[in-house]
This record gives sequence, structure tokens and C-alpha cells, in this order.
Amino acid sequence: MIYWGGNPAECHPRHFTKYTIMQKSKFLPRGRKDRTMVLVDIRETKSVKAADIFLQVRPGKDFELITILRAMIKGHAIGDEQIAETGLTREAIEDLIARMKAAKFGCMFFGMGLSMTRGKHMNSAALLTLAAEMNAFTKFVAMPMRGHGNVTGADVIMRWQTGFPFGICFNRGYPRYNPGEFSTIDVLVRGDCDAAFIIGADPGATMPQPAIDHLRRIPTIVLDPHITHTSKLSRVHITTAPQGIAAPGTAYRMDELPMPLKPALKSPYPTDEEVVRRINEAIARKPFWLPDGSQPQMVMGQG
Amino acid sequence: MLRITGGKVYDPANGIDGVIKDLFIDDSGRFTASITGGRTIDATGMIVFPGGVDAHTHVAGGAVNFARAMTPEDHRRTQAFIRTKTRRSGLGGMAPTTFATGYLYAGMGWTTVNEAAVPVLSARHTHEELADIPIVDKCSLTLMANNEIMLDQLEKGEYDRAKQVVAWYLWAAKSYGIKAVNPGGVAAWKWGHDAKQLTSPIDGYSKLTPGTIVTQLARICDDLGLPHPMHLHCNNLGAPGNIATTLDTLKHLEGQRAHIAHSQYHAYGGDGWDTMCSATTQLADYFNSHPNITTDAGAVVFGDTVTITADGPWQHLLYKLTGRKWGNLDVENETGCGIVPYTYRPSNLVNAVQWASGLELLLLIQNPWQVFLSTDHPNGGCFWRYPEIIELLMCADVRKECLKRLPDGIKGKITLPEIDREYTLYDVAVSMSAGPARALGLTNKGNLGIGCDGDVVIYEEDKNVARMFGHPRYVIKGGEIVIEEGEIREAPHGREYLIKPHYDPSTDEFMRPLFEDCYTMSFENYPVEFERIENPVMRDCIAPPGS
Repeated sequence: MIYWGGNPAECHPRHFTKYTIMQKSKFLPRGRKDRTMVLVDIRETKSVKAADIFLQVRPGKDFELITILRAMIKGHAIGDEQIAETGLTREAIEDLIARMKAAKFGCMFFGMGLSMTRGKHMNSAALLTLAAEMNAFTKFVAMPMRGHGNVTGADVIMRWQTGFPFGICFNRGYPRYNPGEFSTIDVLVRGDCDAAFIIGADPGATMPQPAIDHLRRIPTIVLDPHITHTSKLSRVHITTAPQGIAAPGTAYRMDELPMPLKPALKSPYPTDEEVVRRINEAIARKPFWLPDGSQPQMVMGQG
Repeated sequence: MLRITGGKVYDPANGIDGVIKDLFIDDSGRFTASITGGRTIDATGMIVFPGGVDAHTHVAGGAVNFARAMTPEDHRRTQAFIRTKTRRSGLGGMAPTTFATGYLYAGMGWTTVNEAAVPVLSARHTHEELADIPIVDKCSLTLMANNEIMLDQLEKGEYDRAKQVVAWYLWAAKSYGIKAVNPGGVAAWKWGHDAKQLTSPIDGYSKLTPGTIVTQLARICDDLGLPHPMHLHCNNLGAPGNIATTLDTLKHLEGQRAHIAHSQYHAYGGDGWDTMCSATTQLADYFNSHPNITTDAGAVVFGDTVTITADGPWQHLLYKLTGRKWGNLDVENETGCGIVPYTYRPSNLVNAVQWASGLELLLLIQNPWQVFLSTDHPNGGCFWRYPEIIELLMCADVRKECLKRLPDGIKGKITLPEIDREYTLYDVAVSMSAGPARALGLTNKGNLGIGCDGDVVIYEEDKNVARMFGHPRYVIKGGEIVIEEGEIREAPHGREYLIKPHYDPSTDEFMRPLFEDCYTMSFENYPVEFERIENPVMRDCIAPPGS
């Protein structure tokens, strides 16, 4: 079990106990004792305590370390200089490789310490490639540790409805995807949108200032059980029932399995779904915004 | 109410072969003997078919959705559906989005689809996606042949327990039947291995073999009286020389009902990629003498696609062969899946053999009620390319033209050049509608008889067969005109067919401890709630054969 650039002890507290290292099972009857856990990170976090092996990689050198691992598992020679750059010793890397190859089933989980630091998606791609290539020796898989809330659910549904997980633009009447151009921050910073509809998120607390400034400039509508930073800069805030506590629904786990949410409490507030449905119905009563026949039904090549 | 007059009707379920005949659909969307009032479609000079039925496709669920995520480059170049007042936007291509899937299927006259591979764990997700596929009616099959709780029962020789467990799982998944993919092989893949021999024990088990799984699951389907028999993806898919495995599997199934999925991928001779050749004659001979089994072709069309299968070890091999992107999903103790984008090229000998083999099976299996049109979408090609395959089946000269594009080395590896058979319209109607509907046990589908669902496709007769089947003049779903003059008029919600096989009520308590031992979710949250199914239609189980 390899955790890379993540701190599950604090960020995903159920991960160890429920899913990865503690569970006893048919083929690993002694649970924790039958597994080896490796943690790769730039600093000692609370997760170190759970790990058998902690590898402290020099900040910003994840990509280099993954590339070295990819080379060394295939038997390529790597110079001392390259290894020194990663902050690890040759012995530690060779030991890791020996353990990875000897594992019956290897799992890698990577967090934002990998995917959001120098190299970003290149780091994730490198780690996923390492996992794929390890299958020449033994069974190996890799999975990202996602953010809080139902971020996976949003991702899954956008994919089945539009083909893309996020960063989608509908301004031509069909979905187009370009992270960096159509992702929320970029659209807001450029001032490209003239309204914002925000459900269960608080960009006012996390996004860069120019994006927040634009949210303040345009009509922003917020659906949230709480008054958030974004609510305060919005024109309209609609209080909704909290999902899973007072509203039913579905949340997707990080491995994309849907879990039903069963409300424990009643809420005087409507659910997000009900609010969106009523807004949709109100819009449907208005004349369609494009004149009849002004648009083709389909375009063959998107050009 | 709707009246279709003057069309030349092909209705194989009722033995009608090109007879000019009027059809009437009542307000409930079913065929009736006559109506008064309502709209009339003058179909004079046109061809009338029952709506198409796809017996084997992958259009919804975790695997397809993973494939969508993996192929943004295809979304960007493919056809796009633009949002209108009545229609959602979407993208076509190798793994179309849900709304587009409905529009594309209906757009070529298909009105029922069978999603052929659903892990129970992602059944809730799959049903949500199916609910977002408009127009067409749907059903789904549950992956069972690598489910460890079920395999444990078979290992212990507890047949009756295994049967109860399967029935319990089917209802938990709100499923329509059983799919078996590479029996034992996907479980072995968790160990990084495969199961290629029907008689060798599977990794993790001491005596359980793929052969046992195949025979026992087929028997369970019969004993539970499932309307559709076991839907089997045989072991050793795609490998040269795998005809031996396939024939061996079929011998295990002697005397039982079964549907062999995408048999093109299981009909190869030779002993390596260089010597790989078509062995479809042997397989077709078997089908020709065994009316108890049906199959879908899993035909290949040249071009880009993305392969999606529960057959994890095969996908790892394909990744190594092609060096392209590879997605692998292990679904706890139930199954797994692999995704690899792929391009079938006429210049590639292996691909050429595959292309020919699919057509050979469709042409060599004499009884069209036994072999159905499919590409194992998206594995052999996308479903929206079916009209091209129909053209190849109906026109020997088009086939000959295509054969010219194949490399010289193909000589002696395929039998297609020697086949003169051409499908008649009646054959096509069986293969794309009446046959698959019957095999699925969907008695209201693929049938223009009184009381059946008013799903009709009307074509303008055209010498260009691919154009004719690709662009129907009208498509009617449950009596509602959904396509008219090539445009989508309405996009109603489809229905979903389910079965509830009988199981002993004590199975819940039998499952609970086993479940809690190996699953990562709670027992209560596992079964898909019936209320989550959009427009469910319960199908009754049939009497087990011989009872």
C-alpha cells in the first residue's frame, strides 16, 4: 500500500480503517500485519505513524522520483546524482522496488501533494504510468484521493451527460472541454460569465481574488445549507437542506461507487434538487431562448 | 393512436415476409386490430420493420463512464447534438454520452437495448445512467461468473446455495439476467493471472474450474427460469487458437440454453499472432447443429473505437500490445474491467481476420434466429455503424470491394471470399430485431403482432443499403413518432425491464455475514432500491425447462 503526497490520517480518516490497511480478509487474515504501508511525502505528517516505511522526497521532486522508479523497475542504470536529487538513498529506492515487485497486489493512492504541486497533472500521469508498468511484474493499481464532499459524484454525472468531468462550456449548445480555459476560475477571472449559480461550494473562500471580484460584480445565486463567504457576496442565497443529514440522495465514493444517502433529520428547507427542479420548470415556461430552427440539430465535425 | 398504411411489412416473429399490410397502434402504444381516428402515416412504397433490439451493448455504467473520461480527444472530433427545447445536448463518438446514446440508437431505428455487463456494486450508477438514455427501452445483465461469494458456494459444491445467492444478487442489482465474463479469469486477474483452461482450478481456489462455473451458471439460469439464458463471454477471448476453448465451452453447455456473446472474438485458429486465422466454419457448424444456443456476432468495423470489457487480463494484454492508454478497475470481490482505446486497421492482418470473422459468422450460421447483429459496442466498433454491417451482409459485391483493401497475406486465413450468401430484408429483420428480442425473452419486442409494443421503423427503399438503414424515414416508439424526416421529434423516457427470481427469504441472513466479511459498504445500502428504477416493467420468470 503506497500513499503518495497525501495525509489520510487527517484528510481521509476512515481510509486506513475501513478500506486499506486495517481490514482482515480472506487472503490477509491478519489484517494490518499482512500488509506493508509506504508513505511518500515531503514532510512528516500524522500519517507517518501508520506507515511501515516513510520516504521523505525533496519538495518538487516527485516526478523525478517516479521517473527513476519507472526506469529502475525495468533494470535501467541510474546515476548517483539523479538519485541524490530526490532526497532519498539508492538503498531506500531499491528496497521499495523489491517490495513492490514482491507484493501480491500493490495499491497506490495519491493526493494533492502530488497532483497539485510542481508538475501537477504530469505527476499524476507519471504515477499512473508507473502503476500500469508494474503490472508486468505483479498486480498493481493506483487511485487518486479526492477532495471532500461529493466531488466524485459531480465528476461522474458530468461525464455521462457531457463526456467530460469538469471545465465544460455549453456556449455553442453542446459540451466542450478545456481545463484552463473553461474551468470555473478561468471563466471568472476573465469575466466571461454574466451570472453564477453555485451549489454546495464556497468559491468565495477559496478562489483567487479576481475570481471573487467577478462573482461580486455579477448576479450570483448560492444554494447552501449554511451562510458562506460566497453567500455574503451573492445577490440571492437559498438555504437548502443538508445532503445526507436532512436530504436524501446519492454520493459517489472515491472509487466511483454510489452510496445512497438516507436523511436522519427533517429540514424545513427544500432540497437542492427541489430548488433546481423548480427553477428549471420556471425557465421551461419562458419562450426558448433560441428562435425555432435557428440552430442545427447536430454538427458532424466540431471544427 | 397511429395507423401505418401501405408499407411492405417484415415481421419475422409472425412469419410475415414483405407483405403489404396496415398496422394500427392504440393509445396504450400497442398494436391493435383497428383504430378509429388518430394520425395516419402513408408508408406506401416504404419498408416497415419492428424496431431494432440490441442484445449486447455497453452504453451505461462505471466502465463506459471511465471510457468517456479516457477519450476527450474523441469527444472533440465527433458529432455533437445541440440542445433544443425538447432535447439535451450530448456527444456521439466511441463512447457516446447518455442522451446522445438514445438519439443515436433511435436515429437508426433501434428501440430496445441490453446493457450487457453490470457489476452489482455499480448497478445503482448504471440504472441512473440508463434513466438518462432517452427513447429506447432497456434491460441489463449482472456480472456473476467471478463473484467470490458465489464462487465459494460452487467450490464447496453447494449448488442450491449458489442458486439462491445468484437470485439474491439479481434482485439486489435490479437486473434482467446473468452475464458471465471469462469465468474465473477475472477473479484470477486479482492475482495478476488469467484462466484459460476450462479444466484447471482458478487462482484462489483449490478445485473450482471455469468449466464448472459455466455449467453451473447455465443450470442456475434455467432453474431460476430467467427469460434470457446465461449470457456468456467465453474464456480466452481474442487469443489465436481460442476456437478450441470456445468449442470446449460449448460442449460443457450441451443440452442447456445459452447465449454466446460476441462470438467473433472466440473463433480464431492458429497458434500465434502471425498464424492467427479465422475458425468460424467450425464454430458455425456447431451452431448449425445446436439450436439451443444463440449468439451475437461482435463484428468488427475498421476505424477507431475504445474497448471496454470485464475481461481485465485481456485488456492488460491489449495495453501491452498497443502501448495505448489503459484503464483498469477492480470491483471488489465481484468482477473487474479494463478499458483500452483501439484502432482496427484493414492493413493489420489480425484486424483483417477479425473483420472477416464477424461477417463469416453472420453468414455461415444458417438460422438467422441464432445469430444477431452486434459489434459488442464499443469493442468491435460503435453501434451507430450497424448500417454499414447490414450493407456488407446484404451486398456480396460491397464485401468483395472491401476484401480488396485487405493485405495479400490474408489469403488462406479467412473464408469470407468464398461466401456468396446475401441477407434478405427478412434475414436482416430477424438479426436486428425479432431474433435478439426472442433470445432476450422480451416477448413484446421485435414483433408487430397484436398486443406487442408499437415500436416500428420505416425505411424509404434505397439501393444504397447503408444509407437506407442509417436514415430511417420514421421511427415509432410505443406508438409515438420519435423520428420523422430524419429529425428527432420527441425524446420520451424509455422503460426498464427487470426480473425478480424466486429465492429463499433466509438468503438475506445467509448473505449478511459473508457480505460484511468482504464488502466495503453496509449490507443495507447494497441492494438498489426499486424506487430508483425509472419506469420499471417486471417480467415474469418462465417455467424451468422440463418442469
